[in-house]
Amino acid sequence: MIALPYTFALQRRLTLSGRRGVGTFVGGLAAGILLGLALLVWAGVPTESLLDDLFVQVFISPQGLAQTLTLTVPLILVGLSSAVAMRVKFWNIGIEGQLWLGAIGATAVSLYGVGPEALRLPLMLLASALFGAAWIALPLVLRLRLQVSELVVTLLLSNIAYLLLQHLLFGAWRDPANSFPMSMQIGGDERLALLGFGNLHSGLFIALAVTLLVAMLSERSRLGFHAAAIGANPQVARAAGIPVGLTLAIMVLLSGALSGLAGGLIITGSEYRLTQNIGWNMTFSGIVIAFVARFKPLWILPTAFALAGLYNAGSTLKVFYGLSDAVVVLLQGLILMSLLVAQFFAHYRIDMKKEPR
Amino acid sequence: MDIAFLGSWLGSVPTAAIPLLLASVGLILSERAGVVSLGVEGYLAMGAMAAAAVTLESGSLVLGIAAGVAAGALLALGFGIAVVLLRAEQILAGLATMAIGLGAAGLLGRDYVHRTFEGVTNVDLGSLAQVPLLGQLLFAQDPLAYLAILLTLGGWWLIARSHFGLRLRAVGEDPATADVAGVNVQLHQLFAVTCCGALGGLGGAYLSAVASNVWVENMVAGRGWIALALVIFARWDPLRAILGAFLFGAVEALLPRLQASGFDAPVYLMGMLPYALTIVVLVAASCSRARRNAEPAALGQSYIRQDRR
Amino acid sequence: MTAMPAASAPVFLELRGLSKRFGERTVLDGVGLHLERGEVHALLGENGAGKSTLMNILTGVYLADDGEIRLQGERLAIRRPADASAAGIGMVHQHFRLVERFSVVENLLLAAGGRKGLRSASEASAALLRTAEQIGLRIDPQAQVADLSVAERQRTEICKVLALGARILILDEPTAVLTDREAGDMLSAIRRMADTGLSIVLITHKLREVIGHSHRLTVMRQGRTVAANLPTTSLSMEEIARLMVGEQKAGPERAPSTLISNGADLLIAHQLCVSRADGGVGIDGVSLRVRAGEVLGVAGVGGNGQQQLADALLGSLPIEAGNLSLDGAEVTHASIARRRDLGLRIIPSDRMASGLIGELSVADNLALTRVRGGHYRSGWLNRARMRADALAAIARQAIAGATPELRTSLLSGGNAQKVLLARELDSGVRLLVAHSPTRGLDVKACAVVHQAIREVAASGAACLLISEDLEEILALSDRIAVMSAGRITGECPGGSSAEEVGRLMLGHA
Repeated sequence: MIALPYTFALQRRLTLSGRRGVGTFVGGLAAGILLGLALLVWAGVPTESLLDDLFVQVFISPQGLAQTLTLTVPLILVGLSSAVAMRVKFWNIGIEGQLWLGAIGATAVSLYGVGPEALRLPLMLLASALFGAAWIALPLVLRLRLQVSELVVTLLLSNIAYLLLQHLLFGAWRDPANSFPMSMQIGGDERLALLGFGNLHSGLFIALAVTLLVAMLSERSRLGFHAAAIGANPQVARAAGIPVGLTLAIMVLLSGALSGLAGGLIITGSEYRLTQNIGWNMTFSGIVIAFVARFKPLWILPTAFALAGLYNAGSTLKVFYGLSDAVVVLLQGLILMSLLVAQFFAHYRIDMKKEPR
Repeated sequence: MDIAFLGSWLGSVPTAAIPLLLASVGLILSERAGVVSLGVEGYLAMGAMAAAAVTLESGSLVLGIAAGVAAGALLALGFGIAVVLLRAEQILAGLATMAIGLGAAGLLGRDYVHRTFEGVTNVDLGSLAQVPLLGQLLFAQDPLAYLAILLTLGGWWLIARSHFGLRLRAVGEDPATADVAGVNVQLHQLFAVTCCGALGGLGGAYLSAVASNVWVENMVAGRGWIALALVIFARWDPLRAILGAFLFGAVEALLPRLQASGFDAPVYLMGMLPYALTIVVLVAASCSRARRNAEPAALGQSYIRQDRR
Repeated sequence: MTAMPAASAPVFLELRGLSKRFGERTVLDGVGLHLERGEVHALLGENGAGKSTLMNILTGVYLADDGEIRLQGERLAIRRPADASAAGIGMVHQHFRLVERFSVVENLLLAAGGRKGLRSASEASAALLRTAEQIGLRIDPQAQVADLSVAERQRTEICKVLALGARILILDEPTAVLTDREAGDMLSAIRRMADTGLSIVLITHKLREVIGHSHRLTVMRQGRTVAANLPTTSLSMEEIARLMVGEQKAGPERAPSTLISNGADLLIAHQLCVSRADGGVGIDGVSLRVRAGEVLGVAGVGGNGQQQLADALLGSLPIEAGNLSLDGAEVTHASIARRRDLGLRIIPSDRMASGLIGELSVADNLALTRVRGGHYRSGWLNRARMRADALAAIARQAIAGATPELRTSLLSGGNAQKVLLARELDSGVRLLVAHSPTRGLDVKACAVVHQAIREVAASGAACLLISEDLEEILALSDRIAVMSAGRITGECPGGSSAEEVGRLMLGHA
């Protein structure tokens, strides 16, 4: 038998230095982005227009920037939604479903004229949050009462939500004046105010305010303190007398409400009607945003902004180079995978030793 | 409902059931080795796209289906390297793999969308197919359906009866013990994950090359996730997976048939049925003690020999 | 030690200069040992002396950083477990290497890896029965491991290792998990195995097992061999004990209060029954009474229901039958929060798995139980006060190297335990349940923990001390209850001798 002159052994690092953690994270992010760029070039995007298409057109030019900021609004909320659920280690991969339910809730308030007109807009947003929270209640109850994994249930409920959306759009809610499956446009006073910068609307301020609130809640409140303990080690949290079930329930319902609110903001802020085309890929985007932001609410703002730029660029790529939305999903997948793999180098080292003769 | 309706309904069940069955058997292999392959939706998408693209380019269905298998296996191998060797978190890596699979299928297949091609034809066993009720189900299927059943039986034998299966199960139950017994834990996990990808790819190829003769984006439509639930229902046993897959196939095949026979039902609400059924099945399976006893004990944990707590 | 004469035949198995570091910590430092054919070689040392690490190197679980292993004079490279078993080295760990959901035969087939003669179930079954016969043990090859008792699993594991062709058998504290009678049977079986020509390394810290059951012995202390390859008959028990613990006196001094006041009943447990998660009986009709001002020790071999008792008292396992009251309040089915509000505090046996959260900061861990009660305001937390409290606790307990912001996982075991003490022993403590509170700690940290327990009792609260460490129990307890097979099998007053308690522990009531 030929013996290798070296032996290798994988060792878990006993301590994780902050600098190595940041270094591997940045390295993983950079590797993922470079890989994505290479892929775009391979797919036919000219190298010289990468900077223009992916940066100047979406972050610098006023029109592009306005578009990017508009896209940022729902992305902030789904990022928060994912981060809030992840904080208690609840895998919410049904963000799209909650978003659709939120959109349905907001539209319902408008269509059926619920409440006085002056309060219509806030009621629509409230309904969207409540519908979103309601849609995550089933997997929450199943998890708490019967220990059913929320992974598959939240996702399948997204598929059900989409069919419900289609059921409404092809049926009772269809705008008879339109050949496409859409609901009727909501009234002018049911819309969020435009800010005079492209289509950017005051939903941005709502998103910012919600981010601050969630940040305060996670970092400063009793609820957030308990949630962090539960996420890190539920057994110790329970032994410390922390109300594990209640905290989990509040955080998960909050996650659903945030996703639902994202749907509400899309309806009241940019689409003005319920369509089949809203909310796509928001589950995965939410997870990517939360992960890249290290689950810190304030970091979600720049991350969501950057990802919105990618989505914005995606529509350019679609028009000019025939690349479908799939490419945006692919890029996000690559970046997440790259970050996950990079953590290996932060947590392990490979011991190599020369074998003595 | 008459015999003819039932017969043709049953005859169409395998077309709906086979992709679920192949994905489930792949997942069972992977999970028996302790790895949750959450990206199976991506394997199906890659398989479906690759099979359509290669068939359209080469004109050969066999090549196309082989390409589907290879595409699924390749994606799974990447996932396997990330979680088994580089110890990426399994659930997040699985989701990333799903996104990469769906995205890559969309990107690479952008020139093949909606282009129909000649798919696999059903075997012709003459009069046997005329046997009432079960004739179509048993004797008028495509060769891949029979192959899928054979693969499932083979998978069952491999897991339950072979020495390799013994090692594989040991890796999923107790990797430290398997390691001490001289089993290469990482290699077994990589193999199982890649097999899962190959079977998922075949399931995807079945979707495009057999079930619809065309490829469109989003044609997988959550089947990977239903398969994930089926595995729990099947208690990680390929033979029980046949039962589960055909149950779901029956529901899925019933919907278009009911509509065709003039049954007036809200189509989108009916479409929820397979997903709702999945949740019900999952809840029922989760409540049973048998499931807890069947779940591989080390599922989802990454194993490193020199770990010290 | 004098070196072996150079002219003699090569030693059967020789370990030479083995060293191993984990991170900054050196756990083995140039350790050596000789093993001959047909001998029982006792490897002695306290917990943490490095015995298990040494044997894990010999069996390929860890790679040594330095040193070498020779078999009959030939250098033996052991890089992975398979290398060790190919060389005929087999180990029976305290945690058996058996896949629970496999049958005994399947476990042997797995370990055999398809080698000739052990390929089919019938071959494996025959080999197991043959081996069992040779050494006089009874096993059932068809049984599922999950259905076997601990003693049966141990016999199974030994037969499995021998059926695989081991010539060198390492037994890691084989009697630690056994009852007295089972232990006796096992020690006789070990002698029989040696008589058939096997070489056996018997890892233990029980002196009684060494005398009369081993031919030679090696003693380890703090990662070094302090005595190697001495004939067992050449040493007295006292000499061996001194080698194990060094020159300092063994164990802490007994200093419980002799005044057992007629304090109020802080804990009354009446006929508690709790079953284990795996379905087995955890505790079965346990009754205990702890009064203010006293330390009640619960002695017993680990795994006899101690964990379930601690969990039932805390409330993390539901009590199925019986009553529990705490400081006069009925708490049989009360939440953990309610019990904590009544003054229950706990030091769990595995502090990083169920006491502290490694990912969180020291300040957060100190505040963990207090945030709920509104101690740091009920809405937005008063972080400044949390930090100030943490600084005070760090100063009070002299937690070396700790700052409020430090990740708790970066603390050493002793300092982490001080964080836990600082949190649990606040002003509200009425009853402290301390479960193996000094496990894995060094002498200095042990003394801190012991002092804290005494102070709890002196302050008028009470402590229930559950420990496998008999000396700890004897040193601290005012009364001692003995636990065995999920029941309290006896009670003796504080100040009893180790022999008296030991007799109760071993079932000779």
